Amino acid sequence: MDGVHDLGGREGFGPILDKDDDKPFHADWETRAFGIKQSSAAATSWTIDWFRYCRELAGPVDYLTRPYFDQWLTTLAAQMVDEGYLTLDEVKTGASSFAPNPSRSPQSSQAARASVNDPRSFAVSVNAPPRFALGATVRCRLDGGSGHTRLPGYVRGRAGEIHTHHGGHVLADASARGEKRGEHLYTVGFASADLWPEAKGSADRVFVDLWESYLEPA
Amino acid sequence: MASFDGKTISHIHHELHSLLPPEPALRTKALESLLAEKQLIDPAAVDAWIEMYRDEIGPKRGAAVVARAWSDPAFKARLLDDGTAAIDEFGFAGHATGHLQAVENSREVHNLVVCTLCSCYPFSLLGLSPSWYKSNEYRARAVRDPRGVLKEFGVELEEKTQVRVWDSTSERRYLVVPERPKGVEDWDEAALAKLVTRNSMIGMERDLSPERDKA
Repeated sequence: MDGVHDLGGREGFGPILDKDDDKPFHADWETRAFGIKQSSAAATSWTIDWFRYCRELAGPVDYLTRPYFDQWLTTLAAQMVDEGYLTLDEVKTGASSFAPNPSRSPQSSQAARASVNDPRSFAVSVNAPPRFALGATVRCRLDGGSGHTRLPGYVRGRAGEIHTHHGGHVLADASARGEKRGEHLYTVGFASADLWPEAKGSADRVFVDLWESYLEPA
Repeated sequence: MASFDGKTISHIHHELHSLLPPEPALRTKALESLLAEKQLIDPAAVDAWIEMYRDEIGPKRGAAVVARAWSDPAFKARLLDDGTAAIDEFGFAGHATGHLQAVENSREVHNLVVCTLCSCYPFSLLGLSPSWYKSNEYRARAVRDPRGVLKEFGVELEEKTQVRVWDSTSERRYLVVPERPKGVEDWDEAALAKLVTRNSMIGMERDLSPERDKA
């Protein structure tokens, strides 16, 4: 979707603050919001991409201004309301009116520790051969679609070069709709000079991981 | 059943915005007590996640990996070839590091990592990301003005050094392997690891020599 989350290359942002800050959390509520999001009950159909899409839909002002872990928690609440595990009326009154039956139970502390040590793979086998060879010039689609996508606005319509092929990976766009489908994933290298007018003459490069359907031969 | 529908979620967010308290701490408290009452969370698991990422998992892990890469060329080759398998030699493979790509700095090349679309980060290797990494400013500027951003972090690059920006748009995650500083040839891994900062493994610090702060 063409939302404000797609920040790459947007101008008018000021200096970067707190460059030496090395604290993982800055308030107790942040620790709680993080822990709840990581361990809560869920539906088995939920994916990381469905979560990202739901966060992107928080509304532009909230997205750009609300604290990070706060956004995680309200996004989780939105998913739970959507799923039927929680009602807006319960949120309003603060009292539970029924016991939901989530398809994935909340984690135990043991499961939480196990999941941190699980290097989950998103690789999926794809029968079709890869469409693009290493070094091939490709052009990104102009249209990102109105659902979730990982094709950033700043590379749309731009040409780059296939730098690496990673085999099939879960396609984020489909996964955000609850469909598990693999597609060839590539790292595409772009000359900064081809992306930004002020980078003319620069040898700098930007590398973006892009799925095959985002690309066409150039 | 999840709706998988943008308009539905947008509407729910709008409702939640007005129903929940305006202050983040109170909002969190309200949701936590409701989710606990509905048994949608187990407080012991919430505590476990907090303990792991507050007390146990952090950039020291990444620093140990980089120090070994500096000391052991065969390990460095394995790290650059298959990051996940290499960090698993330390038992660090896990949360968000199932597809880890290490990228190496040199005199000619400086790498930096960003996630312009959200905030992807190799959690089990570097811990939770710093707030600046998640900021709108960094996400907007790192791909377009990397040299300007580096300058704000105190990194002055020579014109001829190529900048390579890695935008983490898939489930692949990036680790920058900084250059080993001069003058520490006889240091052991533990001493070398102390030189490696979190910012250097994201690409926002370059000179890791022991004298750097005195310059």
